[in-house]
Amino acid sequence: MVRNLLCALVLASAASPLVAAPLNVRVVDASGRPVRDAVVTLYPAGAAHPAHAGGRYVVAQQNLQFRPFLTVVPVGADVSFPNLDPTKHHVYSFSAAKKFELKLFAKDQSRTVHFDKPGVVALGCNIHDQMSAFIFVTDTGWTARTNAQGIATFADAPNAPTRVAVWHPYLRAPGGQVQQAIAATQRNLGFQVKLRPPPAMAMTDY
Amino acid sequence: MGYVARRLRNTGAIPLGCALAALWVAPASAQARIFTPDSFEFSGDVRLVGVDGEKSWVDGGFGKLRSGSDGDFRVQPQLGNISLVWKPQFSWSLGAVVVAEVQGGQRTESGLSQAYLTFRPMRSGKLAFSGRAGLMWPLVSLEHEGADWHVKDSITPSAINSWIGEEVRPLAAEATITATLGAHKLRATAALMGANDTSGTLLTFRGWALHDRTTLAFNRQPLPPLDSYIAAYQAPYTHPLLDVGPGFAHRPGYYAKVAWQPPAPIRVELFHYDNMANPEAVDANLEWGWRTRFNNAGLVANLGSGAELKAQAMQGRTRMGFPEDGRRWINNRFRAAYLLVTRPFGSFSATARIDAFDTQNRGSDVDEEYDEHGWSAMIAGKRDWRHFTGLIELLHVWSENGSREHAAERLRQGQTQLQAEVRIHW
Repeated sequence: MVRNLLCALVLASAASPLVAAPLNVRVVDASGRPVRDAVVTLYPAGAAHPAHAGGRYVVAQQNLQFRPFLTVVPVGADVSFPNLDPTKHHVYSFSAAKKFELKLFAKDQSRTVHFDKPGVVALGCNIHDQMSAFIFVTDTGWTARTNAQGIATFADAPNAPTRVAVWHPYLRAPGGQVQQAIAATQRNLGFQVKLRPPPAMAMTDY
Repeated sequence: MGYVARRLRNTGAIPLGCALAALWVAPASAQARIFTPDSFEFSGDVRLVGVDGEKSWVDGGFGKLRSGSDGDFRVQPQLGNISLVWKPQFSWSLGAVVVAEVQGGQRTESGLSQAYLTFRPMRSGKLAFSGRAGLMWPLVSLEHEGADWHVKDSITPSAINSWIGEEVRPLAAEATITATLGAHKLRATAALMGANDTSGTLLTFRGWALHDRTTLAFNRQPLPPLDSYIAAYQAPYTHPLLDVGPGFAHRPGYYAKVAWQPPAPIRVELFHYDNMANPEAVDANLEWGWRTRFNNAGLVANLGSGAELKAQAMQGRTRMGFPEDGRRWINNRFRAAYLLVTRPFGSFSATARIDAFDTQNRGSDVDEEYDEHGWSAMIAGKRDWRHFTGLIELLHVWSENGSREHAAERLRQGQTQLQAEVRIHW
């Protein structure tokens, strides 16, 4: 009986080897100001938490801008691109994670793109150079973006040695990403990153 | 009819018309959108103008503004600029822009403002190509935007861009390549052009000006009173869209531009123009070729919180006539620069600009007695409501212009103008 109980405990700990607890990651810039819209991803050792595609994801073109500027979606997500402007748009991406182009003529016309690989997808419009946006395609459910205070919170981060990656479109680092490893017991983590200034206004185009 | 036909022939409007006609009859592709509602745009404005000082150049005076007075502060409502823009799309990458305009105020006129084809194929990775061909403004102004070429942050553009609107709108074929090199963006433009041989006439005889009246195709601009010996060989007006001499663009001019956007919130632009006109060519109406060259440098900087700084500096030279004692009749070096700062406060934005300009004449007929120098200062406020924009602008300009003395007017003149404007754009 005792042996069975021990076996059950061992099996249970193997199936769920890592007890979850909240983990906060704070991202600030070189001046100590909070960085909003940084994407934080956890890669705990020996644990997986696949992201599940589902939900409705929209990147609209409105007032000659993409809205929102940053979208985080799971692998396998379908993202629609409605044109809400009275002018046409030619949305494209040359990113390795997803190459595509969409010719959107009329107002309220929309197309949908399936994102099947993890990575960063940079969006542009072939007609309006000033339009820029990013889709972060993730394969793990431990992905969150920082809020206005620069904080990303994971309510169920496993107690395990974890590699933490931070990505931001203007981050000065290879691939726009920096990483840190943390111990199993560490529940708070800070990143100080260097950001490039956002691109200046679009070049004149009548 | 003969006059109109000559104008059309001289300005090369026939090649342009043939190109448009060919597109018109081309089989419509599935992507063609020629007369759909979204292929039309409308914009227009009415304004209340209060101004003092001298008679406007629009009325044949030396006044530097769109409106003038007889010295007293005069207030009057005016129709501003009304534009109807047609932007047909013949295929995904091939389209056109045609702009018809009415300009009100002290002289109301209407006509064609721009008409050009656009070609913009899908970019390939880090490179993007595009092209334009037809009647259009080169990409010099940092103050104008849109197909109707309206002034973005104020009512009145700087001296540099007022002159571009008056005398630098050729028939051109232009190609642009944009390259993204890491975090740097480079754009290079080159164009061949014609029908801009008289560029420099207004700038020399009148001097610089500040206004938002632009040249309409085939329309002429008045010149201020000319000295009698100059009036013997120069028409009292100028057609900025004109090819002086036989054939179309037998001496094509060119312009080129490079723009660099580093990984910082600034953009730097350099522009060079040379119309290659023959300064000894003259037509039956006594309109001359003016060999005009200029360089323009532009800077745009994002100052944070939406505030933006824009600056342009231009230097050039225009020559006309035959050499006498080693000097052509007219040899005018012109310079101007401005600095503009704009900042949004919610749906309101405030703009301030300072401007300086001069000309230096070293010709045998027009010499240093005709030199000009001056400055202007402007503050403007703007508010957007959906399809409407409200603007209020206060502008002062002061100048010393030797040409005024030759016309028995005061050498130094200042003018203050207060305008309130409502724009509609649809």
